[in-house]
Formats: sequence, structure tokens, C-alpha cells
Amino acid sequence: MSPIRLLSIPLFVLAATAGPVYWALPQGLGAARSLGIVSGWAGCGLLLASLALMLREPWLAHGLGGLERMYRWHHRTGIAAYVLLLVHPLLLAAESLPGNRQLAWQTLTPFGQDAAVWLGWLSLLLLMAGLALTFEKRLAYRLWRGLHVGLGIAVVLGFLHLLMLGIALPAWLALGLAVVFLGWRFVRDDFGLAAHPYVVDASSRVARDMVEVSLKPLAAPLDIVPGQFVLVAFLTGAGFRGCGEFHPYTVSGILDGGIIRLGIKALGDCTRRIQSVGPGVPVRIQGAFGDFLGEPAQHPQLWVAGGIGITPFLARLRERAPEQPTLLLYLYRTEQDAAFVDEIRAIAAGGGNLSVRCLATGEGIPDPDALLPDAATLAGRECYLCGPPAMVGGLTAALRRRGVTARHLHFENFEFR
Amino acid sequence: MRRLYFSSTFLFWLLVTAFWAGSLWAPPPLEAGAVAAEKTYGAADLARHATPANCWMAIRGGVYDFSSYLPEHPSRPDVIEPWCGREATEAYNTKTKGRPHSPYADGLLDKYRIGKFAVDRP
Repeated sequence: MSPIRLLSIPLFVLAATAGPVYWALPQGLGAARSLGIVSGWAGCGLLLASLALMLREPWLAHGLGGLERMYRWHHRTGIAAYVLLLVHPLLLAAESLPGNRQLAWQTLTPFGQDAAVWLGWLSLLLLMAGLALTFEKRLAYRLWRGLHVGLGIAVVLGFLHLLMLGIALPAWLALGLAVVFLGWRFVRDDFGLAAHPYVVDASSRVARDMVEVSLKPLAAPLDIVPGQFVLVAFLTGAGFRGCGEFHPYTVSGILDGGIIRLGIKALGDCTRRIQSVGPGVPVRIQGAFGDFLGEPAQHPQLWVAGGIGITPFLARLRERAPEQPTLLLYLYRTEQDAAFVDEIRAIAAGGGNLSVRCLATGEGIPDPDALLPDAATLAGRECYLCGPPAMVGGLTAALRRRGVTARHLHFENFEFR
Repeated sequence: MRRLYFSSTFLFWLLVTAFWAGSLWAPPPLEAGAVAAEKTYGAADLARHATPANCWMAIRGGVYDFSSYLPEHPSRPDVIEPWCGREATEAYNTKTKGRPHSPYADGLLDKYRIGKFAVDRP
């Protein structure tokens, strides 16, 4: 990743935090109260940065180093803002300590205070509840996403708290930006205004609980290359009732006429329903995102795919043969889960630089030491991994132990919650 | 991040509880008799302190020096500054849509009290 893209998000977050703090920097006040004011404004700046980093625009994701990176920073800035906003009322109250403990408590509690203070507390409690639910991964995605919206309401209430305190200009600015970011996300991304219209052209079963779906553009096709992923919402039509939510899928093939193919495994309610999709179902697609396999191959490569993680490598192989000697290690649970194996073996048998090792690993996490080539074979190789986070984590650590540096390790996991 | 969330939230409520408990064990206020005799000021005294940097106000019979507090007041400066050097009880009692300041604000007043206000004194 270029230094500019690498620094883009940290610099943006720094500017969003330092700007309001500089504007509101207290003068002549006590230390605790000054720090309380600074923590409040820094928290506001981080909240705005967090909202901006949840926008799903391909051009923005490209400039900021990828959608997955944006979401990672969205989480980091959100939790940092939360901690600073917890500190804010405590420090304001601490100004009266140790001399006047009653005044300190009166400063902290909303009871007996006006609506501005109540709004601040309401915002903080909503943030608290919303974040607690955000960490609850067992919730169904649809419910989880609905509850996550509560965090947006908490942000708006927080800025209304500023407005009611009489801090007019910056509060209006912050409130305006928050509404723009939230509106942008809901209207363009969640509602699908930024999405491209496609229709299901064909669907075929490629393994147990896994189908490959071909999607035909109804307007201008997406600009997409192998290794990228798209966000797709399957709608209702042609005897199929889609869940209408946008989920990420890596393309498994790109055909003439802008047709794209997606391998979809039944991992949740929505993807299980898609297993029965047929031709004619309308689809909305956003993207394309990511640059996995995007760099020109200048060195021998190791590709490791786990289950549905085979799709970016398959798309790449379907487009052209590898330019460099490439070992594809394809892992799946059982032979019934081995999608596209015959096709991949046929490509490897056709000569060229590709060699393939396909392996059923069973239910447990495979032993990395038994799977990976030795350090001498790995020397100088670029390693690309795609699969479940636990598998990618285990294999990445094993590759590091074999002397592969971080610069030569490339992976994407689609942990968007 | 999950650990940071839960630990910071726990610590927050622990400190809120400590603030509340601390207020219960605060020393009782001084008896009225123990307070030294206050100085008395009139309207002319107030009028000599009518700038944001030197701001006195009379509220509910007391005189308060808000010079050091003004930068901390949450409203816009143009809301409070015109009341410097004046009797401001009505403004204090009808802050927002006719509603008075909070008990918290009443408690804060004591910190800035410098004397009594004599209505009939020039």
C-alpha cells in the first residue's frame, strides 16, 4: 500500500479530532474542567470521523486503503470516542473536588439540571447500550444492524446536547455533518441508491450448501477485476423472496458483456435463502472494492484458499494463467464441500505455472505445519490467503514463523460487523 | 476493543457511584451564625462592575462577582454579558422559556457570592 493511502485514515482522524479541540481549547479554567472540555470535543471529532468511515463508496475506499480498513478504523474511532465521552462528565465534576463533593455530584448528575444535560446523558447511555449490542455477535445480522442504527441516533442527540448548551456554530456544523454522513449511508448505501441494477442470469450448485450465481447487468456494468468483492442485495421476484440486505461476495468469474459470477455459501439466513435463487431475480450491486491479487506478479506465489475463499483465486485463474510459478493450496472440510476442484485441476493439468494441492481437512482447524511448504520453498514467495478468519490467522502466524515477512503476506477477511 | 469497552464502562459506573457516595458524606454546611457579616452593596456599586472582565450581578438579594465564571457559562456571551452590573434576578429565574436555573446552578452561586444587595441603597 502506498504511504499516502497508508497515512490517509490516521491523518483524517487526527484532523477531525484536533480541529474541534483547537477551536474549543479552554483558557484560564481549572485543569480538570479544561481536560473535561477537551475530552468532550475530541470525542465529538472522533464520532464524526467514525461516521465518515462507514460510508461505502468505491472511490473513497480506494483512496483510504480499502473498505475493510475503513471499517476497522470506524470501530477504533467509535470506541475511542466513547471512552473520551465517558471521561468528559467525570472530569467536569472533578473540578469541584476535593473541597466540594456535593457540588461535584450536582455537576455530574442530570437530576435537577436542564434538558441540555439530560440530552447529554441520554446520548451517552444510548452509546453505551448500542456498543454493548455491537459486540454481541450471536445476534441475527438484521437485528444487529437495526440496533446499530441506535448509535447514529446517540450521535445526533449528543450534538443536540451541545446546541442546547448554547454552543451554536460548531454544534450546528457537527450536527449537519452527522446528518449528512448518516443520510448518505442510509440513502445511498443501505437503501441502494448507489447500487447498479443486475438480474440473475443462471445459478448452479457447485458443492454442498454452495451455489455459483451469474449476474447480468441491466445498465452500465461495474468496473471490476479478479480478486475484488462486491456488495450484493438479492431482491424479490421470479418466485424468489430475497432478504434485500447488502452482503459482501468475492467474484468467482468475470465474463464478456459485464456478467459477473459469485460463489455463495450458506453461512446465514440470507445466504441460505439464496441457495434456491433462479434466473430473473433482480439484484442490486455496489462496488467494486478491494485490491486482493491486484499487484502484478513479479515473484513466485503461494495461494491458500479455505472453503468459499477459493473464489478470488478461481476468478484470477479463469481470466488468465499465472505469470509466475504458483502453488495453490485449497483446503475444505469434506469432499462434499470441494467446490470447483475439477475445474481447478483441469487448469493445472493444462500446463503452465500452476500447481495445485487440494485437501479435505475435517471439522477442526488444520495443523499449519503439516500443510505449508518449508521455509526454503517459501523464500521469496508472495503469499495470498483467503478463508475463514481463524484459518487465515493460524496460517499467517505459521508463515511468519517460516520467515515470511508482513510485506509478503496478503489477506482479506470480510469481518464487517 | 470489546475488553476496552467493558472495562471503561465498569470504571465509569464505579466512579459515578463514588461521586454519589462522596456527596452523601460531604461535611454539613456552616451554620448561618458562623458566617461573617456580609458587606452590603447598592445599584451604584453594581454599575461600576459592568464589563465581562469585571462583572457583578445582583440575584435574589445577593451580590455575585462572576468575572472569573463568565468564560465557563455554557450559553453564548451575548446572553449573559448584558446583565453585568445589573440586578439580574428576573433573567436568572426565566432562563429558558420562563424556566429558572437548576438547583445545581443555585449551588454554584454560593461560590461567587461577595455580599448582600440593598435595593434602597444608591
